Amino acid sequence: MRTGPAAGRSGYFHEALCYASDDELLAVTVPFLLGGVAAGEPTFVAFGERTAGLVRSALPAGHGIEFLTGGDVYARPTAAVRMYRQLLADLVAGGATQIRIIGEVPRVGLGSTWDWWARYEAAINRAYDDWPLWSMCAYDTRITPAAALADVGATHPCFARPDGRHVPSRGYLGPESFLRRNPPMPADPIQADPPLVELTDPTAAQARAAVHRVGQGGRLSEDDLDDFVVAVSETVTNALRHGCPPVRLRLWAAPERVVATVRDGGRGPADPYAGLLLAADGKPGGLGLWITHQSCNHVTQRRDAEGFTLRLTAGRPPG
Amino acid sequence: MSDRPGPYGHVCRAYDDPAGFAAGAEEFLRAGLAAGERVWYVVAGPAEPVRERLRGVDLFAQALLSGAAEVRALDAAYTTGTVIDPAGQVAVYRAATRRALAAGYSGLRVAASCTDLVRTAPQRDAFARYEQRINRMMRSEAFRAMCGYHRPALGDQAVAELACLHPGHNVAGLRFGLYATAADAGHATLVGELDPANHELFRIALDRTELQPVDGELVLDASDLRFLDHRTLIHLSEHAQQRDARLVLRGCRAGTARLAALLDLPALNVEVTR
Repeated sequence: MRTGPAAGRSGYFHEALCYASDDELLAVTVPFLLGGVAAGEPTFVAFGERTAGLVRSALPAGHGIEFLTGGDVYARPTAAVRMYRQLLADLVAGGATQIRIIGEVPRVGLGSTWDWWARYEAAINRAYDDWPLWSMCAYDTRITPAAALADVGATHPCFARPDGRHVPSRGYLGPESFLRRNPPMPADPIQADPPLVELTDPTAAQARAAVHRVGQGGRLSEDDLDDFVVAVSETVTNALRHGCPPVRLRLWAAPERVVATVRDGGRGPADPYAGLLLAADGKPGGLGLWITHQSCNHVTQRRDAEGFTLRLTAGRPPG
Repeated sequence: MSDRPGPYGHVCRAYDDPAGFAAGAEEFLRAGLAAGERVWYVVAGPAEPVRERLRGVDLFAQALLSGAAEVRALDAAYTTGTVIDPAGQVAVYRAATRRALAAGYSGLRVAASCTDLVRTAPQRDAFARYEQRINRMMRSEAFRAMCGYHRPALGDQAVAELACLHPGHNVAGLRFGLYATAADAGHATLVGELDPANHELFRIALDRTELQPVDGELVLDASDLRFLDHRTLIHLSEHAQQRDARLVLRGCRAGTARLAALLDLPALNVEVTR
């Protein structure tokens, strides 16, 4: 039996908690967590250090709530999906009738990489719907930009209010509608300069060699460079196989990051979840784009009249 | 990759001009004579004109007289027919190598113009399997070889199918190699880069390598593997599963291990040593 506002529902109950003070955060979080424990439901917190500390100090001793390390859980949106899907599957296999999780996007994710976290928030409406999950995504309105808060409303079907109410989101779009939007792709500041490399219709091998040239010299760690080579290789391969010519690879570099854009004359993937979730029907290109999302520190996309562009960032994205 | 003799001296030399092959083959054989090996020069046409020419060439003149060097026609050196018998041909060279050793030479070295043995797809398939078997044989026998393939007669695809099975080759644009580096049939070495551009070529090469599980494992040494994509990892896992084995990629880059971990493949182990 599910408890709380999700009682009687199946699948995922996805709420946002937008709070303007620490008291508001605790007013919702503490009863949410203790209610889960009281109902015998596996209950988790995936907050950053500050907010996790607040919550810990407000909980009674021996509370039975598990704290996930926010920094690892939310390193990349697709890594979070992978981890949570495994966790939920294991818990339900173990007999859980509802799982409660409250988490937050890392503060750095509210900046230049917000768009892929917004896409994450949309995609998980489907990704977690296989399990009886009640989750809250906490957003501090003091530090979250207004545009991001609008996306929160569009991606969460319900709000948990500090006064204890559960209110439907009037701006909710549904995941596919949200993911099919085509928002502008703000340029990374280093794109103001001419690219260090520009290749037309490169082979994947030529693309990899170019990334190695640009990424070496300490700009990226060895691991980040290896993963970025994988990402660019997959993206160029997809563009050559599934896109339309010409395929253009451009590379820029800053002291702690490398940016690649891969543009082709096609329309990009038809699946709105492409890159975020594995295609259940094994559509071509789906796995490569999913791996790309697992191998970069930011992936964003833009479709325009002339074609489709995917931009990949390795290293530290701009602040 | 280059046409330098590899770790155990099995080289593929693709050529456009027969004279170019002759020059490379004679240099290869001259190195063998200098190392005290018996050498065979296996030629596509009649042996006598080549023998006659070499009688006028310094080191070869004396070697032809002493028996250290022989020029043989193709059908005198290979179990030719329509399609080569891989095991039979390996036995021929093993026996010849041991005869050379018994006669006081340090080994047997062969430069062979193999084009006539691989003109059709069935011929090529059998010969490729022979190439991997001879790779294994070379791990325990003092045998070295240069295989010559005439590119205009065979085409780039056929040459690539054969060249990728050699530790050394001179085929530009061929981005990977797969060759046995241990005497047992459970091990091979994978070098270079693998992506969709050469996936089909790799699939064919892996099939022809005929890896056989040892203690339930097929082991590929990947320490000189610069890149492989997810399709290749999936294929390796499936290849092992079909043989009720696990495939071990040994000596991989850490990035390959991370990629494999994402895919969670049932029959693949990735061992990182760098």
